[in-house]
Amino acid sequence: MAIAVGQSVPRVDATEKVTGRALYASDVRLPGMVHAKILRSPLSHARLRRIDASKAAAIPGVVAVLTRDNLDVSSPYYGAYIKDQPVVALEKVRYVGDIVAAVAATDEKVAERAVHQIEVDYEELPGIFNVEAALSESAVIIHDENPARKDPKYGYGANLIRHDSSNIFYHFHYERGDAERAFNESDHIFEETYHLSSAQHYPLESHVSVADYQGEQVTIWSGSQTPFPLRQEIARMFGLPLSRVRVMVPYIGGGYGAKSGIKYEALAVALSRLAKKPVRLSLTADETFKTLCDPSAKVTIKTGVQKDGTFVARHCEVYLNGGAYANSGPTVTERAGYRAHGPYRIPHVKTNCYCVYTNTVPGGAFRGFGGPQVSFAYESHLDMIAHHLKIDPVELRLKNLLDRGELYTAGNIPIDCDLRSELKLLAEKIGWGKPEAERNSKAGVKRGKGIACAVKDGGGVNKEANATVKILIDGSVILFLGAAEIGQGVRTALMQVAAEELSVQPGRVQVAPLDSAYTPFDRGTHASSAITVMGKAVQAAAQDARAKLVVMAVEVFQAPSAAIRLDGGKIFAGEHSASIDEVMRRYFGDLEGEIIGNGRFKVSRRDDAPLGYPATFWENGLAAAEVEVDEMTGMVKVVNYVSLTDAGKMINPLHCRGQEEGSVLFGIGHALYEQLVYRDGQLINPNLVDYHLPRFRDLPRSFHSIIVEEGGGTGPFGAKGIGEGGTLAAAAAICNAVYDATGVRLYAVPLTGQRIWAACAQKTQ
Amino acid sequence: MNEPMIPLRFRLNGQECRAEVDGADLLIDFIRDRLGLTGTKRSCDMEICGACTVLLDGKAISSCSVFAFEVDGRDLLTIEGLAGREGLHPLQQAFIDCGGFQCGFCTPGMILLAKSLLDENPDPTVEEIREYMDANICRCTGYQMIIESIQQAAKRMNRERT
Repeated sequence: MAIAVGQSVPRVDATEKVTGRALYASDVRLPGMVHAKILRSPLSHARLRRIDASKAAAIPGVVAVLTRDNLDVSSPYYGAYIKDQPVVALEKVRYVGDIVAAVAATDEKVAERAVHQIEVDYEELPGIFNVEAALSESAVIIHDENPARKDPKYGYGANLIRHDSSNIFYHFHYERGDAERAFNESDHIFEETYHLSSAQHYPLESHVSVADYQGEQVTIWSGSQTPFPLRQEIARMFGLPLSRVRVMVPYIGGGYGAKSGIKYEALAVALSRLAKKPVRLSLTADETFKTLCDPSAKVTIKTGVQKDGTFVARHCEVYLNGGAYANSGPTVTERAGYRAHGPYRIPHVKTNCYCVYTNTVPGGAFRGFGGPQVSFAYESHLDMIAHHLKIDPVELRLKNLLDRGELYTAGNIPIDCDLRSELKLLAEKIGWGKPEAERNSKAGVKRGKGIACAVKDGGGVNKEANATVKILIDGSVILFLGAAEIGQGVRTALMQVAAEELSVQPGRVQVAPLDSAYTPFDRGTHASSAITVMGKAVQAAAQDARAKLVVMAVEVFQAPSAAIRLDGGKIFAGEHSASIDEVMRRYFGDLEGEIIGNGRFKVSRRDDAPLGYPATFWENGLAAAEVEVDEMTGMVKVVNYVSLTDAGKMINPLHCRGQEEGSVLFGIGHALYEQLVYRDGQLINPNLVDYHLPRFRDLPRSFHSIIVEEGGGTGPFGAKGIGEGGTLAAAAAICNAVYDATGVRLYAVPLTGQRIWAACAQKTQ
Repeated sequence: MNEPMIPLRFRLNGQECRAEVDGADLLIDFIRDRLGLTGTKRSCDMEICGACTVLLDGKAISSCSVFAFEVDGRDLLTIEGLAGREGLHPLQQAFIDCGGFQCGFCTPGMILLAKSLLDENPDPTVEEIREYMDANICRCTGYQMIIESIQQAAKRMNRERT
């Protein structure tokens, strides 16, 4: 009988978060702390001729001004894969909002005033704002400095193609079979192009870094999803030993990919070193918009199909607008490419996925990691094929979906859930195929249903995760882990895993704050990977601690280890029993000693896996949407929505549901409203008035999330990561429903009223 | 150049409070930096997201868009003042029980807005909850579980009242 796992126990951060006592990076205040502001480029592309900061430095209250002229570091560039982003602009600025200089002053207002006193002489260069322009022959090269890069070693079927002296900074290629020949032998060939706009994560808490550089060491408070890689970058850039860089992660006010990797921490550290004081840098909403976005995509997909609907071949060409700096764009490109052909049995596949520099906000990790871009395309495309062949779209999916146990590609773990039975369940819940009484009841308003099914390979593959479990002399437990609490509840769920392994009540396990000085190494909290990869490390650590406890019980009870049993916080040996603390006290003596259990986990490399590593699990997202479309205004209303995902095993059912539903709203927002709009290189909607985030009124009137537990995950007790699945299928399900309602196929999201109205008007002409 | 400071007398979370502010000080900065009550969160600075919601004379306002001097003579409630001596407010408990938050950054504002709703309308329909709560944004939960939290709190509070 499970004591902790599978129960909706209260979150470990519950009371702090509902009482306002939870500490976030933005709440950190240190004695003597000063405040920083950034001077950002007003131009999209320019060479820096001269910077004069003397007027700013002379303002009373200003304690440091950082420009390229006094940036004294071992290496000025950072970047997860390509080191192309400098702490402050060196030779050029590359987008409107690029960091030119920064000021630290006694308060934010003084810093703000000082920033505008910095004089910059620019030589304007032609700006490139979209992929087409970036690839034209006459295009200027945005990064002509040839940045250092670390390219991955791919396995079977995949390779990286380098394009030197080009704005293409990443090109992922995957191929199996002989797609060209297979197309020639197909009964039908369908080809379409889809567009998905770039979107903003908008975590409610902006990026905040507090840095305190003292002597030859630095302490950083940051809402970072990747504290250990952050430590590594800071150490490398400032020439410090890792042991002298300490990173603390308090609670994080949302991230969704935005807080992965290094962002503003190096700037705060450089200012703190100059100012000889702790520096706090907190962005405004406008600056959040100019930090990172979900790359916009153009996806061309071509499918060869037999008469009966069997898929034979697929060709995918994906272009992502990577913006001015690579950030995590290379991995997003790799994943978008690897995921582009969808969860179907297709013998012949060829994919090229490109990420391209432009003079716009950098693109990078975003909930779904390249998945939403390609799943929107392949699930809309499938719907179109079904209608063309007069096959029900659900039937066409059932015919081609991979079975549980079947391989997505060679070298990967097989599909770990039954997508076909999941799809049937979803179809039943939305009343698929049932005639609707009120299909076209209101004048000019049409109703329709759409369905979509997508998967993504679960992340954390090349990720080392460590955890420590301490059992204290009173039988209470402390868990040390590097997974960041970004809202997903991971510290609660992993507390439950530790409690389960030690057979103690969840309330007996505390989770220690994340501090790189004490917390064991972890590669980062991303790609829904913490519950599987860190979950395995925590489970191993708890098992290690438990084994040590059993050794003590053997001595205390003078019984063979096989006779020792842990249950409900007690240790049993034959007819004898004692609580954990009693056993420890008898073993150590009062007030002495503790048990330390360590665990680690990492997925092993496989050379036959296209990406070099097998996935940790298969994250899936299925969605069924029912919409109302007003053809006169182009307005779409989602009136009924059912989402489905497989959690493998729910460690905490209530919070699994929260992950799924939050993820769905992200997808709906992207499908209906969200897009970054540029005019002449200027982002014109970098605020919440002009950029529409989903609100209460956007929640579909009828909304159900279904989470199944198929037990096939790599994580503890069969758990899989969730929280991105809901984002994958939303746009396609809604577009397919719009088609069902109106007969109009939309090839671009968001589905603005203007877009739908124009498409409907064109149809009736 | 230097304007005189404005003296204030107001109730802060049930206690009499005196302070002096600059005429240009925003309420959010006064609460977070001067009073040290960091449960009030800053985000959009445009009265759109509601993370900085506080109750002024019982009404929900965005503290990012109000001057500090406007609290003079009034009653200010921040999230820190919501829990009573006997423990959490029913809304706080319901947000825990129903999964009404994840990252927690919108939560203080969300709970205070919900309090203002239930003070005005102790038994709201789902439709009324959606309409009233539309003033605040949550990026994590997908809203449904916040609606359920408010419904549960309303039920509990109504039971306690009768």
